[in-house]
Amino acid sequence: MTAFLIRRLGFAVITLFAVLTLVFVLVRIVPGDPAQVILGDQASREAIEALRERLGLNLPLYHQYVVFVWGALGGDWGTSMMTGRPVIQEVLNVLPWTLELTFLSLLIGVVIGVPLGVAAAVRRNRFTDYAARIGSLLGLSFPPFVSALLLLLAFSIGLHWFPVISAKSGSLSAWVESITLPAINLGLITAAYITRVTRSAMLEVLQEDYVRTARAKGVPWTVVVWRHALRNALIPVITIIGLYLGILIGNSVLTEIVFSRPGLGKLIVGALNQRDYTMLQGMMVIYTLVVVLVNLATDIAYGIADPRVKFK
Amino acid sequence: MKKQLILGLAVAAGLATGFGLDPAQAQKKSLVIGMGSADAGKLDPHLASTTPDKGLLNYIFNGLVRVKPGQASPDFIEPDLAESWTTNANGTEWTFKIRSGVQCHHGYGPFSAEDAAYSIKRASSKATSSYSGDFAAVDKVEAVDGSTLKITLKNPVAGFLGYVANINGGNMVCKKAAEEMGENFGKKPIGTGPFQFAEYQPQQFVKLTANKQYFRGAPVLEDITYRYIPADSSRDLAFQSGELDMIYGKQDQTWVDRTSKLPGVKVKAMEPGELSALYLNITSKPLDDIRVRQAIAHAIDRKAIVQFKGAGSSREAVSVVPSGYLGTDEKSPLYAYDVNRAKALLAEAGYPNGVTVKTIHTTLTGMQTFIEAVQAQLKKANINLEIELVEHATFHAQIRKGLSPIVHYQAARFPVADVYLTQFYDSASNIGTSTAITNFTFCNVADTEIRAARVEMDAAKQKALWKTAQEKLVTNVCGIPVYEQLQLWAWKDNLDLGYELNGSLNLSPPVTEKTKFTK
Repeated sequence: MTAFLIRRLGFAVITLFAVLTLVFVLVRIVPGDPAQVILGDQASREAIEALRERLGLNLPLYHQYVVFVWGALGGDWGTSMMTGRPVIQEVLNVLPWTLELTFLSLLIGVVIGVPLGVAAAVRRNRFTDYAARIGSLLGLSFPPFVSALLLLLAFSIGLHWFPVISAKSGSLSAWVESITLPAINLGLITAAYITRVTRSAMLEVLQEDYVRTARAKGVPWTVVVWRHALRNALIPVITIIGLYLGILIGNSVLTEIVFSRPGLGKLIVGALNQRDYTMLQGMMVIYTLVVVLVNLATDIAYGIADPRVKFK
Repeated sequence: MKKQLILGLAVAAGLATGFGLDPAQAQKKSLVIGMGSADAGKLDPHLASTTPDKGLLNYIFNGLVRVKPGQASPDFIEPDLAESWTTNANGTEWTFKIRSGVQCHHGYGPFSAEDAAYSIKRASSKATSSYSGDFAAVDKVEAVDGSTLKITLKNPVAGFLGYVANINGGNMVCKKAAEEMGENFGKKPIGTGPFQFAEYQPQQFVKLTANKQYFRGAPVLEDITYRYIPADSSRDLAFQSGELDMIYGKQDQTWVDRTSKLPGVKVKAMEPGELSALYLNITSKPLDDIRVRQAIAHAIDRKAIVQFKGAGSSREAVSVVPSGYLGTDEKSPLYAYDVNRAKALLAEAGYPNGVTVKTIHTTLTGMQTFIEAVQAQLKKANINLEIELVEHATFHAQIRKGLSPIVHYQAARFPVADVYLTQFYDSASNIGTSTAITNFTFCNVADTEIRAARVEMDAAKQKALWKTAQEKLVTNVCGIPVYEQLQLWAWKDNLDLGYELNGSLNLSPPVTEKTKFTK
């Protein structure tokens, strides 16, 4: 297990480095000049050149790269070109908002998705199954910003239950008020995804010999389904949850925007629009780290769900 | 934590009022504004270049002079931090008498001529200001004594007072604070205005509190929360639910129509109009042939564009300079809509079967719908406009590299003809040069008049020079002005701004010491 972890972490470092280099080059290939964005459209060429010099953008690319990697290794990810605040501080400011939204919606997704998927598989081709399948298809096809607006129209404007600006903190009730709609919005989409995966994994497992054997020796049906079958169907579900967690963090941007919540997604879109090179580089490190860590956690979860999995 | 708790309670209280749960509450004193951007940018007035940042900073800072709140024309310039001013006969020496008893925010002491001199030097420096170019003519700035500021110019500058007004580089910072904070000034901007900086929450809001020592009197409002809400629809919904008192509108007519129907709401299309114009690179083929340029000008129906954009929020362009500026030729000889004439001109130029021209264009919605409408109009005259859509920052980079033979640009500038003419039509501003700004046309036909007008002290002669410049630019079809987009805002009708709103130079309505809620 320890050797496995070390090896995986080693890979993680290589991945991180590759991503960093790629991002460094990519953001600079895209047309657009941060100095121009910062100074605005009335700035003279001279002023823009002066700023480029201050930002170090006139240095040769390899020089900029060395400066960046050297800083990153020493834990200095630079300051945002737009706001002048340290990248790490900008990220940490909004990271908690993104994490709470992501994990809560994942929780909603699992709590709804797994039982629904199991129910659909068990009642295959009956009403429950059709309802779950159509419901999950709808959930997957619905753009998150449309569902977000519908939720706001119904619960904030219509019923006045929740605020439109879902970014309050300071007390538990304020927090619940702000997180509920965004978490439901993302959670339902996640649930749709998990429902479908659970259903198909369960269908496969339910046809296995040991399920028939368990039934034949008189194990109650619910125990067969929940203990024997589901346990074995969990591996693909965990994989999907792991993959989806990475996607969720990225996908939350539309939800963040419509519900006016701070978050990483908004930060990265802003940095991209403004060609904030340092910010983008820092953000990419975080994203890569998150994806790598989630994958690692997924691997470990395999072992917990299925003792047959050996870490080699 | 305690602060957060207090904030939480305050927000909860605001929410309760918003939802009308507490009708017994006393008169509202907190103003919440919803702005259409994802976050604050640069909150240093000499570096801020976006509408959201400029709007907010206007509540914090004063100029030496100001444009009367609610107006957007230099005709309304009045004293601000300077009580009075004098100038010599040729306009190269300006002496300002600085008001006494003005206090800088957060205990940074009294504001003196020393601060004013420091501020102008700061705004003139490339290292600390985006607006250094505006002060290129400044030779010397000195505080003669605590209340006298003297500015010496290398040459006279048309509309010089505009540069020391309460916008851009004219915003007066307090020396002690700016020196102490250096590059961090934008994190806690210190000015002299009616509201002072209190708190910033990333991607959420900036909070300002009343400056009780404000020299025009303590503000009625206690605080302003300036919220960043990038999604138009979310801003509208939060306004509807009562969480916002004033919002930056989606810049189109359907928004005006829809929002006007809400109960208890005021909607305003205010000055200045941002002029939408096509800039033709006269050195590129086939635009080097004036007949092709004339054909394009004849093929565009300004009236139809205004109908398309909405008569309540837009109007026809009158000249290559937006209407209402000091020196705008309100009756410049624009080309009339005439498709047959356009076709004839094309045939004459050797393109009887039509011609193809290209533009690189931004994906900003308001601008994109315009260029698509223009494309449809041009088609009727057999002019095929190829539109290459790119994202906004790419657009700005590529048009400055001369990659787009036709550039659609939408802008408002300080309302003196010189600014627009210099930036868009003086050949010194040609893209690709060291003094480049935004001349995409490579036209130089009006250089003589533009430059002569800049230093002409006789107002009538200056106007005549500007008129000739505009006529030449229109006749040579360097630019084709099409329509002007007004600035759309909405607020609750229980909010009394304290002045009549016709416009605002920084495109956001001022909030002054007199702004209050009536119920």
